Amino acid sequence: MSEQAVFQQALEHIARLGEQREPARYELDGRRPQLAVAPPSVAALQEIVAVASQAGLATVPWGGGTQMGLGNLPRAFDLALDLRKLNSIVQYEPDDLTVAVQAGCTLGELSAKLGAHGQMLPVDCPTPDRTTIGGLVATGLSGPRRYGYGALRDLLIGISVVLPNGQLSRGGGMVVKNVSGYDMMRLHYAALGSLGVIVQLNFKVIPKPRSERTVVAAYRRLADAAEGALRIRFSQLVPTAIVLLDGRAARVVGLNLQGWVAALRCEGPPVAVQRQADRIGEAVRPAAERLDVLEGGASERLWAEISGAIAAAPLDRAIRVRIGQNPSELPQLAEEIDRACTGLAVERSRWLDIGSGLCYTALASEREADLRLAWERLARLGLHATLLSAPPAVKVDTDVFGREPAGLAVMRALKETFDPTGILNPGRFVGWL
Amino acid sequence: MDRQALRERLLRIVGPDGIIDDPDELLVYEYDASDEVFAGHHRPDITVLPRTAEQVQEIVNLANEFGIPVTPRGAGTGLAGAALAVRGGILLVMTRMNRVLEINERDGYAIVEPGVINLELSQLTQPRGYFFAPDPASQRACTIGGNVANNSGGPHCLKYGVTSNHILGLEVVLPSGERIWTGGPAPESPGVDLTGVLVGSEGTLGIVTKVMVRLTRLPEAVNVLLAAFPDLESASQATSAIIAAGILPAALEMMDQLTIKAVEAAFHAGYPEDAGAVLLIELDGLAEIVAESAERVAELCRQCGATEVRVARTPRERELLWLGRKSAFGAMGRLSPNYYLVDTTVPRTKLPPTMRTVEELSREYRLRIANVFHAGDGNLHPLILFDRLVPGEIERVLRCTTDILQYCVDVGGTLSGEHGIGFEKRDYMTLIFTTDDLCAMAGLKRSFDPRELFNPDKVFPSGFSCGEVNALRQQALAQRLGIEFV
Repeated sequence: MSEQAVFQQALEHIARLGEQREPARYELDGRRPQLAVAPPSVAALQEIVAVASQAGLATVPWGGGTQMGLGNLPRAFDLALDLRKLNSIVQYEPDDLTVAVQAGCTLGELSAKLGAHGQMLPVDCPTPDRTTIGGLVATGLSGPRRYGYGALRDLLIGISVVLPNGQLSRGGGMVVKNVSGYDMMRLHYAALGSLGVIVQLNFKVIPKPRSERTVVAAYRRLADAAEGALRIRFSQLVPTAIVLLDGRAARVVGLNLQGWVAALRCEGPPVAVQRQADRIGEAVRPAAERLDVLEGGASERLWAEISGAIAAAPLDRAIRVRIGQNPSELPQLAEEIDRACTGLAVERSRWLDIGSGLCYTALASEREADLRLAWERLARLGLHATLLSAPPAVKVDTDVFGREPAGLAVMRALKETFDPTGILNPGRFVGWL
Repeated sequence: MDRQALRERLLRIVGPDGIIDDPDELLVYEYDASDEVFAGHHRPDITVLPRTAEQVQEIVNLANEFGIPVTPRGAGTGLAGAALAVRGGILLVMTRMNRVLEINERDGYAIVEPGVINLELSQLTQPRGYFFAPDPASQRACTIGGNVANNSGGPHCLKYGVTSNHILGLEVVLPSGERIWTGGPAPESPGVDLTGVLVGSEGTLGIVTKVMVRLTRLPEAVNVLLAAFPDLESASQATSAIIAAGILPAALEMMDQLTIKAVEAAFHAGYPEDAGAVLLIELDGLAEIVAESAERVAELCRQCGATEVRVARTPRERELLWLGRKSAFGAMGRLSPNYYLVDTTVPRTKLPPTMRTVEELSREYRLRIANVFHAGDGNLHPLILFDRLVPGEIERVLRCTTDILQYCVDVGGTLSGEHGIGFEKRDYMTLIFTTDDLCAMAGLKRSFDPRELFNPDKVFPSGFSCGEVNALRQQALAQRLGIEFV
């Protein structure tokens, strides 16, 4: 049987195993798959993946499609695997504060269920009604709230993954403390679906804070804004997010302020939130030009805007970059980004996640060459740098994950072990794995 | 293996004071804190005590050359036999690598060598306003490297998370001999989360030579409550009620009557001796929240039948209450010559029926069982008391353990909450994992360590092999579909 015949037979067989979808709706860096299919069950998914692996079909697991900007240009793209039919909440015990959910469930749906019991998965997400839980874990993108609650990485207690050979691999469980066997959760977290197709995730959930406030302080100088934010970070106060925004970044999220803006989020019981916001206000006020306190819904909306602005959704004529750096060195990094843009026709916005040690920047330009050059320069800054999204032409011949990570040899061995025919997101992960 | 040649080469790497191979001196390295009755004793061919990461790397290269196993070991406080050299070879004792290399207050992390003792790190950072959150009961002796290997827990993990949540990066020597840094102070570094995979891998994937730990800011306020209950059941219900009320204590510990009596006899911690069970509840954080939560917790305890709720007024009182808890295992010597510690986690709402089951099994097997554990996490520690000299007791302990584990697994629990699988618990792995689950884990192991030289015969059940499963599976698929895959 010729390779082409095997390929066609495999596609036909897979098409019968799930609901077919319109391939045009699964565009990835300008490419469309031959086939898009939504498996109705884990068993169907197991068979699809096993067949794809045997036939060598380049397969891209797909959730809400909201963060598809992240990843290198695919080497090939034959099959889009839409996981949104695997969307049930498998087990939820409010009194245990644990939940098991299928990968295709949206964050919105899960949050509604948890919210009814006063609980939440504390993740920042601009598009909860589209973004799936599997997508959140596979991309490993977090937001400023990771400072207060940890990333999903820290809340994940169990996982089920379909491996390319079709076998179902489970790790962890439904308890909050567990050292039985290897940490398969972290093996797949942020691995961009390159080692297996995630089908179920178990989390510990968090009691939903009864109230929230955000202190917003505007400064003329970055140094003053940073000094205030770092002082709070170093104190015994416990805000759940601390972010500095430059003027353009502030306007993107709907704050009409000049200079640099510090936003500090407080969540918890009403009395504590009020007192904490007061104490934070007092501490950051002296050098501030202006100080506002956003309450309840207004506070929540601001953070939804911020998480949208730093996400990995592709943009036209713009790139987004995330750079890791020590919190205390982020102000310096902001200035380095400015210098890196010297001589380029780019407009830049910067969000400094002082809580977590990450800087997000969006650069817009009509000139593709300038975007490429900007990324080349930014890729060298900080402790690590990732091109979160970019027009396909900018991604050509560059690793969007920046510098080669230490341990790439082990990562390659893992890829070869779990995905020997290299069908899952081929070329898209770090080091073009 | 040419022992003499190996010895010579090791001597050149670590010098004469870095090697132990005299049979008498090796005796102590045949054991760790696991019970010999269950884990046996295993003599390494040679014990090596490196002082630097470079030495560790050279030793690993040598092990590769000679094709002999390397078993890393910290303070040897592990309870599952993970530090036993069950296939001989080199026992790599990391305790001489005990320097604190950097404390970065501004960004809240420290870089330490694996032999640094857990409590010493917190004591060192406390004057600067920080602590290292994981606090296993053995923290006065256990090492950070051992904590990393076991993903250790401790009372304060309820609020702060286990070791894995506090490790930012690792310098590690891989089985290939490559020495790399994973992770770093800024999160989300690209690539597979090797730090996350290595923590808790019990020295089977890599040998840690430096650890970058997150330091946690000391809380503004701390409050410790002691609540006495008539029985375990009501104390368990109070535990569930507190968690379900949305309160997250820093720690929520339970002790039963047997434990209270032993602790009081040994340490006079001031626990009410007539209580059927006590809860030790620590609340910390912002002063306002701590005050509000303390009242609510006291109220919930009373509603669940607490006969007394006491608040520690001074740091000294607080320390005393904790001393009793942290020394509980040590106090067991007063009750029995031997004990066997089961370390299982169940969903928190399953605590009351689980405690009932443990009591029933205690009666059925005629074994006294003391309970002292991390109730807030659902992490049980039934201590089965026995005397190894009494014929038949060991068998009863084993059967009782299996029954407890099986019950916990049946209600959605797991084998080990924080002590690890190691050598001694590995055959229980099939209670919770399928062959496919274990094959995937074996794939992870193989990717790191294809020759199985790092801490062999640990974590996986004895005699476990994935063998040709995969090839057979593919064959079957091709036959069924009638596609001849190329």
